[in-house]
Amino acid sequence: MKKIYTALTVFVLTLGLVASGCISQEQGEKTLTNTKQVPQQQIIIRTTGATFPMYQIQKWIEIYQKLNPNVKIEYEGGGSGHGQEAFLKGLADIGRTDPPVKEASWKKFLATGDQPLQFPEVVGAVVVVFNVPGVNELKLTKDVLAKIFLGEIEYWDDKAIKGVNPSAKLPHKKIIVIHRSDSSGTTAIFTTYLTQISKEWSEKVGAGKVVDWPVDKMGRGVAGKGNPGVVAILKQTKYSIAYTELSYAINENLPVAALENKAGEFVKPTEETIKTAVANVKSYIPNSTQGYKEDLKQLLDAPGKDSYPIVAFTHLLVWQNKEGKHYSPEKVKAIKEFLRWILTEGQKSENLAPGYVGLPKEVAEIGFKAVEMIQEG
Amino acid sequence: MSGYNVRKLKEKLFLFLIGALTVLMFSPLFHIIYSVFNNGIHVILSRRITFITGRLSDGGIGPAIIGTFILVFLASLIGLPVAFLVGVYAYEYPESTLGKATKSLLQIMLEFPTILVGVFIMQMLVVPMGTYSALAGALSLAIIMMPYVAVYTHEAMRQIPFEYRDAAFSLGLTRVKAVFRVLVPMAKRGILTGVLIGIAKVAGETAPLLFTVGGSYQTYQIGITKPVGAIPLLIYTLIQSPAKEHHEMAWGASLILLLIFLGIFIPVRLSLREVKV
Repeated sequence: MKKIYTALTVFVLTLGLVASGCISQEQGEKTLTNTKQVPQQQIIIRTTGATFPMYQIQKWIEIYQKLNPNVKIEYEGGGSGHGQEAFLKGLADIGRTDPPVKEASWKKFLATGDQPLQFPEVVGAVVVVFNVPGVNELKLTKDVLAKIFLGEIEYWDDKAIKGVNPSAKLPHKKIIVIHRSDSSGTTAIFTTYLTQISKEWSEKVGAGKVVDWPVDKMGRGVAGKGNPGVVAILKQTKYSIAYTELSYAINENLPVAALENKAGEFVKPTEETIKTAVANVKSYIPNSTQGYKEDLKQLLDAPGKDSYPIVAFTHLLVWQNKEGKHYSPEKVKAIKEFLRWILTEGQKSENLAPGYVGLPKEVAEIGFKAVEMIQEG
Repeated sequence: MSGYNVRKLKEKLFLFLIGALTVLMFSPLFHIIYSVFNNGIHVILSRRITFITGRLSDGGIGPAIIGTFILVFLASLIGLPVAFLVGVYAYEYPESTLGKATKSLLQIMLEFPTILVGVFIMQMLVVPMGTYSALAGALSLAIIMMPYVAVYTHEAMRQIPFEYRDAAFSLGLTRVKAVFRVLVPMAKRGILTGVLIGIAKVAGETAPLLFTVGGSYQTYQIGITKPVGAIPLLIYTLIQSPAKEHHEMAWGASLILLLIFLGIFIPVRLSLREVKV
């Protein structure tokens, strides 16, 4: 028995040693790199919140850190709500949130005595994906889309679907509808869109991060956890349909439906159609110093012949840093440079991850103005 | 004679059934170990030492490994002594109001949703401190670890026959000496099992760390008031990504976590078996 105790003690002590060894090693490393490069201290920027832009931001971080070895950017998930709170409490330097902060909650941020700035950083799209063997192209009108998710259209070869897809070989099989089981911003965007295009949906179901799916009661609804869960079920379930983010559809090579937009055209989510949609709702994006009047509705179902209707925005929150309230002078410089890089170089296609679309110039300009407002104190 | 055969047959059938159910029960465990090895090993082999020591941008999970060790170490430091004493107390004073309350509170704590612990620590410690920290993470892990260790300590002590207690007192030992010199050493097997289960439990926890440690994957930051990373938290973040390369890293990280877990668990478990009571 004593042996075990000795072994345990040794183990614990070694751990301590390893840990302390790492500290000194780290300091050694730091001084080494510092002498090689600019004699500047390592700066750590923390960003917390929405997981939707994760893939994109990780890519930016990777590229940016190679260009600026002194700046390290720590990414943390936790969701949009957590991102707003962590930013408000000063736990994160840059907050990330998909639904923008509205006017009502904006006051909470102003109460800190510093000016928060909010602007879109990149956009994606919520897409409708399907798994029907032999069918690769599918057009869905607003009416059909709503009715499928309401459960009113039961079979793939329903007249309403055939009517807009005359050439597709649609089987007489029941439609399995897959949705999210967890609370999700993707669900919020998708159901908000459905309430906009279908009166019946808004009366019967409504919009939210979690909704009561009518198809569940009919035995044709299946729930998956997270976007990966939904995609995994879709791939295994024939004759199913689901909504997910564009990046998952691209990474998993899933067929994507063309949706009817406000102008009555069928549009697939592509870089152009998403950019057009963003440019067409630009007037609803307020100045970075103000909260949004309405969070999602105005950004969805964009006008214009080539606009994809379900565009997903994601926003950054950063402080103006009045009187150096939130950031040290070195950190301000690093943050400004990083954000400037995101809004210029970061928007170029070689720095974008699949499924994400850069902002149109006039929208990126909102962010650019915000970054220039940040005070170096 | 035929009655005998039927009984024999029944026995065989029963044994077979029990055997089959046992295999069924453990098959998920082996499947998990198998799939984690299968998916994780090539990630580690292809990146070799970078995977263990590198930062996230180099394709490694070094800071997360160190973070997990720091968190578990600190949580044990905070939680184990308290939990041990609470367990002993609940055993020594089973009839007192406080002892009874302790026992039922421990049961509640066992079932307490771990995410709430994280939220609680965030409000109590992280927000006032103004930063995520290893300390906050370790504290929430300690809260989760404590009831396990205390309940196991309590149960292990209860299994010692009462005569040993009598014997200890008859030798003229005081109550403290009787408990800590005679009874605790006799129950150490059960207590150590509890300690191990507690450590293993918190080494794989994600929820209580979500709002407390902040995460640190690009830099090695060491210090109890600085944010740290943790392997389970990193896995959780990585699997939410649509990217294949992130999923691969998550498999590799899972394998490392599994190895750490087995590396602590198996040797101690084996050496415990040799102990003679």
